[in-house]
Amino acid sequence: MLRAEGLDKSFGALHVARDVSLHLAPGVRHALIGPNGAGKTTLFDLLCGMVAADAGRVWLDGADVTAASADQRARAGLARSFQRNNLFADMTVAANLATAIVLAQGHGPVFWKGLRRLSGVAAAVAEIAALVGVDGVMNQPADTLAYGMQRQLEIGLALALAPKVLLLDEPTSGMSPDETAAMQRLIGGLPPTMAVLVIEHDMDVVFDFADRITVLDYGTVLFEGTPGEVRQSEAVRRRYLGAEA
Amino acid sequence: MLLDPTFLAIQFLNGLQLASLLFLLAVGLSVVFGLMGFINLAHGTLYMIGAYIGLSVARSTGSFWLALVAAPVAVALLGMVFHVVLLRHMQAASPMKQVLVTFGLIFVGLDSVRYIWGNYSHGIDLPAVLAGGVSVLGETYPIYRLFIIGLGLAVLAALHWGLERTRLGALVRAGVDDRETAAALGIDVGLAFFAVFCLGCALAGLAGVVAAPVLSVYPGMDMSVLILTLIVVVIGGPGSLKGAALGALVIGMAQTFGQVLVPALASVMIYAVMAAVLLARPGGLVRARHG
Amino acid sequence: MTDLAQDRLRLAVAAVMAAAALLWWATAGFFGHELIAQVAIFAIFAMSLDLLVGTAGMVSLGHAAFFGAGAYATAGLTVLLGWPAWLALPASMVVAGLLAVVVGAFAVRLAGVFFIMITLAIGEMVHAYLFRSRTFGGDDGLGGIPRPDLGALGLTLDDPSHFSLAVLTLALLVYLGLRQVVGSPFGQVLAGIHRNEARMRALGCPVRHYKLAAFTLAGAIAGLAGSLAAQHNNFISPELVTWTTSGEALIVVIVGGMGTLVGPVAGAAAVILAGHYLSGLTEYWMFFMGLMFVAVVLIAGDGLQGALERLARRFGRAAG
Repeated sequence: MLRAEGLDKSFGALHVARDVSLHLAPGVRHALIGPNGAGKTTLFDLLCGMVAADAGRVWLDGADVTAASADQRARAGLARSFQRNNLFADMTVAANLATAIVLAQGHGPVFWKGLRRLSGVAAAVAEIAALVGVDGVMNQPADTLAYGMQRQLEIGLALALAPKVLLLDEPTSGMSPDETAAMQRLIGGLPPTMAVLVIEHDMDVVFDFADRITVLDYGTVLFEGTPGEVRQSEAVRRRYLGAEA
Repeated sequence: MLLDPTFLAIQFLNGLQLASLLFLLAVGLSVVFGLMGFINLAHGTLYMIGAYIGLSVARSTGSFWLALVAAPVAVALLGMVFHVVLLRHMQAASPMKQVLVTFGLIFVGLDSVRYIWGNYSHGIDLPAVLAGGVSVLGETYPIYRLFIIGLGLAVLAALHWGLERTRLGALVRAGVDDRETAAALGIDVGLAFFAVFCLGCALAGLAGVVAAPVLSVYPGMDMSVLILTLIVVVIGGPGSLKGAALGALVIGMAQTFGQVLVPALASVMIYAVMAAVLLARPGGLVRARHG
Repeated sequence: MTDLAQDRLRLAVAAVMAAAALLWWATAGFFGHELIAQVAIFAIFAMSLDLLVGTAGMVSLGHAAFFGAGAYATAGLTVLLGWPAWLALPASMVVAGLLAVVVGAFAVRLAGVFFIMITLAIGEMVHAYLFRSRTFGGDDGLGGIPRPDLGALGLTLDDPSHFSLAVLTLALLVYLGLRQVVGSPFGQVLAGIHRNEARMRALGCPVRHYKLAAFTLAGAIAGLAGSLAAQHNNFISPELVTWTTSGEALIVVIVGGMGTLVGPVAGAAAVILAGHYLSGLTEYWMFFMGLMFVAVVLIAGDGLQGALERLARRFGRAAG
C-alpha cells in the first residue's frame, strides 16, 4: 500500500534519515519504534511529503508520489496525525471534523450552499465523532477539551479522510491508562483494509496491536520483523529494549 | 549618453547617497522587527519630525551641525516616550495590533507637524564646508551628497562594531537568532528591544535632518519614504544589519537608475524589484534568524 | 454559545443595522443621503476585506488597489470608451477580479509579514502607475463619470436619495452573499486555512488555490465598491488607491470584529461618520482620527462584535 525506498535526509550536519526503506501491506498494523531522536517523526514527514527527501522514492497504492506535495499525497489516501495536537484551536469539535470532512468529500469549492445543508457532511461528522469518542462534546471549542479528548479529535481529523494508509504519531502520548486503553480499542477497531503505521513508545501497546515492527535508530532501520522476531533480536535488545528493561 | 562613464559614475554616487539615507531609516526598523516581529509604520513620521526639528534648530541657532545632533536626540526621546506610554503595555498583544496602533500614530504625527510647522515646504541651508562641489571625472558633484554617503558608511561601520563587539550587540544577536531560547537563557530581550528601538528612532531622526537639504521638508514627506523603507527591510531580510545595507543598496540603485534610464517605468520599478526578490528568496536576501 | 446561535446573533445584528439604515435614509436630507452612500460603499469595501482578513486570515495592506481598479475601470469604460454605466459596473468587478488573480498568484506564495508587505507594495505600485498615467489624467484624475440610467425602474440615480438607496441595497446583497460564502463549505475551508494552514495541507487541501480564490473574490467585491465610489463622486483620482485607505479598512475590520461581517460594517459607519463630523469641527481632524484608531485598537480586544458575542454567551449561560 505504502512503499518507501532509500529515503535520505540531512538538516545541515544532522543526518536524520539514512537509506530508510519501509513497506506497508494493505491492512497491516505496523509499529515504528526507536529511542527519542531516532528520526521517527521525520520519517513521517518524509512519507507525507511535508519535508522533501534528499534521496529516495515513495509509492502510494502503486503510484510514484515522490514528487507529489503533502496535500496531493493526502488526497491520494495518505493521512497522518501529529505528535503534538494540531487542531483548529478555537473551532468547535463539530467544526473541526466538518473541515476535514468537507475536504475528504471534495466539497471545498462549494461556496453557494450552506455547510449545514450538506447532510452527507453532517452524517460523516457524527460517524467519525462517535468512532473516536468525541460525540459528547461536539459544541465545545477544541482548545477547551481535556488533553485526552484533544488527542482523540487529533486522530479523528486524520480518520475523516477515510485514508488507505494512516500514520499515527504517538497516539497515546500523555494519556492516562484508561485513555490509553480506549485508544488501543480505537486502533483495534480501524477498518481491516486500512494500512496503519504507528509511532509508539509504550511497548505493551506495540506488542498488543502490531503485526510488524520497524526499529529506527539514528535515522537508520536497525531491525524489521514480527513482534516475536523483534523480541528475539539481540541488536534490538542491546540498543533499545535493554535500555527500558 | 547612457554608457558615458561620467554619467554612470554620477548616477552611481546618487544611488549610493539614496541608499545611505534608506539604510539609516531601515536598519532600526529591521532589527526591531527581527527582535519582536513588530513593524513601526510611524517610522516615516519620526523621520519627518527629525527633519522639522532639524529645520527649527538650524533656523534658530544658525548651526546645521547643532541640528544634526539635536534632531536624532529629540526623536530618540520621542521614541522613548512612545515606548513607555504605549508599546510597553502592548507586548502581549498580537503584532497586528501593534502595527495598527502605529498606523493611527501616522495621522497624529502628520497633523501635529501641520499644526506646529504649517503646510509649507521648507529647505535647510548648508554650512559653507558642505555647500560646494568637487570634481568627479570632470563634472562638479555636490560635497554634501558625498557627506551623506560617508555618514551612512560610518553608521554602518559603527553599528557593525557595536553588534559584534559590545554586550548589547550580543544580546541583540541572541534575541534575533532565537527569541524564545534567548529569553529562556535569561537574556532580557525587552531591554535589547528598547535600546534598539530608541537607536532606530534616533537614526530615523538623523536621516530626516540629513535629507532636509537635499529633499524638501513638507508634511507628507513621511509617506513616500516609509514605503521605500519597508521595501528595503523586506527585501534585505528582516533582523539583519547586512540585509538592511544590501536592501538599501539595491533599492537606492534601482530607484536612481530607474529614473534616468527608464523614466516611464521608474515609479513601478522598485515594486517589481521587490516582487522579484521575494519570489526568488521569500525570506529576503539575508537570513538573520536561524531557528 | 453554539455556532448556530452565534450565526443567528450576527443575522439579528445585521437586521437591526439594516433597519437603522433604512430609518436614517427615510429621514435624511441631501447631505444625509450623500453620507449614507459613502458609508454603504465603505461598508462593502470593508466586508470584502473581512472575507480576506477575518475569514481566510490573509492580512492585506493593499486592498485599495482593487477598489481603485474598480473605480478606474468604471471611469475608463464609461468616460473613455462610452460604455453604459450599468454595464461598466459588473465589468469593473471583472477587471478588479482579474487584477486580483494576477496579484494573488504572486502574493499567496508568501505568508505573515511578507504577505502584508507584498500587498502593500503592489497597492503602491498601482498607485504609482495611476499617478503617472496620462490616459487616466494622472494626478488630476478624471471626471464626468455617469451613474446607471435606471429610468425604466422608476429610479433616478442622479438623485442622491435614489442613489443612496440603491447603494444600500447593494451593500445588503453583498452582506447576504458573503454570509452565504462564509457559511459554505468553501468558507469552512478558508476558516481552516486561517487557523492552521499546515494541518489543512495534511488534510489534502491545496491551500494556495483556496487563498487565490478568496483573494480574487475579495478583489472583485472591492472592485464593486470602487465602481460605486466612482459613480458616487462622478470623479476618480489616485487618492482612491492610497495605502492609507487599505489601512483604514483594516482597522475597521479588526475593530469591528474579524470574520463577523456585521462588525466591519459597523466599524465602516463609525469611521465615515467620525471623519465627517470631525472634519467639520477642525482642520486637524486626522489627528483625532489617529487618536481614535489608537484608542480603539487598544480597547477592543476581539472587536465590537466579539464583545457582543461574549456578552451573549454570558447571558445565555445565566439564562440556561
